[in-house]
Amino acid sequence: MLRKKLTLLAACAALALSTNVALAQTKVLKFVSWQKDERGVGDWWASVIKAFEEAHPGVKIEWTKVERGAYADTMTTLFAGGTPPDIVHLASFEFQKFADAGWLDNLDPYIKESKLDLNGWAGQDTCVWNGETVCTMMLYFGYFLAYNDDLLKKEGLSVPKNYAEFLEAAKKTTKDTNGDGIMDQYGTGHETRGGGGQYMSEMMNYTLDAGGRWTDDKGKVSINTPQMVEGLSRWKTVVKNSLTPRDLSAGEVRQLFADGKIALKMDGPWLWPIIQKGKAKDQIKTAMVPFDPPVGGSSNVLAIPSDISEANKKLVWDFIKLATSDKFQATYATLGASPPPSPRADVTAAKAENPNFDLLVQATQAASKAKVDRIPKGLEIQFNEFSKMIMEESQRMIIQDLDPKTVAATMQQKAETLQKQ
Amino acid sequence: MKSRFSLDLARPSRRHWLGYLLLAPAVILIGLIIVYPLFVSIDLSFQNVNIARLDQPRRPFTIANYERLFTSPDFWNAVWVTLKLVVIVSLFCFLIGLGTALLVNNKFKGRSLARLLVALPWAIPEVIAVVIFAWMFDSSFGLMNWVFITIGLIDTTVNWFSSPNAAFFVVCVTMIWKGYPFVSIMMLAGLQSIPEDFYNAARVDGANSWQRLINITIPSLMPVLGVTLVLVMLWVFRDFSIIYVLTGGGPLKATQSLSIMTYEQAFSFFRMGYASAIGIVTLIVCVVASRLMIGRAPDNI
Repeated sequence: MLRKKLTLLAACAALALSTNVALAQTKVLKFVSWQKDERGVGDWWASVIKAFEEAHPGVKIEWTKVERGAYADTMTTLFAGGTPPDIVHLASFEFQKFADAGWLDNLDPYIKESKLDLNGWAGQDTCVWNGETVCTMMLYFGYFLAYNDDLLKKEGLSVPKNYAEFLEAAKKTTKDTNGDGIMDQYGTGHETRGGGGQYMSEMMNYTLDAGGRWTDDKGKVSINTPQMVEGLSRWKTVVKNSLTPRDLSAGEVRQLFADGKIALKMDGPWLWPIIQKGKAKDQIKTAMVPFDPPVGGSSNVLAIPSDISEANKKLVWDFIKLATSDKFQATYATLGASPPPSPRADVTAAKAENPNFDLLVQATQAASKAKVDRIPKGLEIQFNEFSKMIMEESQRMIIQDLDPKTVAATMQQKAETLQKQ
Repeated sequence: MKSRFSLDLARPSRRHWLGYLLLAPAVILIGLIIVYPLFVSIDLSFQNVNIARLDQPRRPFTIANYERLFTSPDFWNAVWVTLKLVVIVSLFCFLIGLGTALLVNNKFKGRSLARLLVALPWAIPEVIAVVIFAWMFDSSFGLMNWVFITIGLIDTTVNWFSSPNAAFFVVCVTMIWKGYPFVSIMMLAGLQSIPEDFYNAARVDGANSWQRLINITIPSLMPVLGVTLVLVMLWVFRDFSIIYVLTGGGPLKATQSLSIMTYEQAFSFFRMGYASAIGIVTLIVCVVASRLMIGRAPDNI
């Protein structure tokens, strides 16, 4: 009996040992992303991971999803604890804090050694921090207009071409359709609840068209200008008159639009897959935004942490090289339904699959040409505080019915104080 | 032969060692999980640190974070919001909790079901409850606006999360709904420990229901009540998820409590030294408030 037990114990120990040896032979790279499980772009990441693992036998990528809402906290905790993920995926408005803390490796030597051509790469300039390239840009986008053709036709409206036409269409299509005293159809849709960054992007539809910029080319705050005052007035008109549903998150607004409750929506390439699953799919058409220039900007980046081993850094660079290769930039266009940042990517297949692809490219180019970005130059480090301040002062303008001129002056003063900190 | 280093726990003079040995794992864990981070926070609050890292060299000692804190209108606003929340939510949790406990303490048909329904909000995960309330109070498509308009209480929709007062009201309602079952359960346990003889004697003396409540029930519940109130107040003081998911502290900082402000400074603005200072002040306020509340508890319990 005892012998049997001992034999069984020895067998278990041998099995455990062999499993450990097998695990030890497999190198694991950690990759944290909020885009896992996202339709389209999540599939694209999965394809890159698969190709990487095939090209590197014995190396596995452990891909973990962290929700966008908890992403900055999680990444900060991981870096602060000295255990950053090997493959660093960050939003383009948050990587600056990590770069400033010295947590991201300089990619210039890798780029030089592998002769990676990043000329003409959309949004890549944003990745230069203190004279070093600390990341590669994975998406630069431009907003397009999606409109519900049926709702416009019912009111005898054509597709708006400028702000005046847009406002008229938004007013006419905002209505209480069942007479219960509650609006149930809206002219347009903006997120007015949630993070400051998204709130600011929504406002920028109007401020950019009015000629306003948060900062100038040199990074000097330029909010207290007639153009910005006009932009703020437009934002106040749209929100105060409830031409947009109030207090909804960006995701909820997109869903309402896809279900036919909103007539006009300006948004990025990610709106298209949502429209395809909505109830009003067949009524929705697309065009260039009625504003000039369209909202646009950099979206997310890949980087290498400074704290990992040299061997891992080389592997992560291989992963970045693969993701930025012509082949995967072409599949990014098809799977991600977005214009890839690479100027060399073959987008023929994407054009054949997505009837809006040319429009997306046109919108991206228009935003890029006008040097539009959500992150104002000179306020990169303070972006979260800045966007929160802009959101709060705009909310104050709407709630307390303040003059946009006064609000612009307050924003200017507060932004300058932030910049000096 | 006995080893020189053997530990004879059976010896009367060393019997207490066993107690220490058994306590050691828990004490070490508490030290690692609670005490160590607390000391790190205190240390950080005296440094000008943006993103903290344990392996970074210590920055020079400064009290700038505390100076900035006590001169910041945002901090005093957060203190005021927290205080309002603690008072309003604790009061209503107590009133509703006691009321429902008295109700389900009576014998009636369906009492078990009633007890289950009273305790139900406590069992629902906080975030799920908050998401349900967020949809109920949604300004454009929510149930509450529809109900209020249908019964004629309002004639236009209320922007629940765009108005500072309305947002504060929604936060209070959600917290009270989530918090009162705890008071109710504690009160029910307290009520069941009151001997029936007290009530019988009072009835013989001709005391009516109100007099029995004031002179027997409430005084007998005082020990449970004191501890329950402290626990509820501490919960309101440190609760984060309800406010964060519902309003994020807005609009115009109308619902920004100290816990939301700490989180925002640490993880949105990456000012961990300043955030630690807020956290330490919050901790001190909590300790002082708890001491004041339960300082007299030994006399009562």
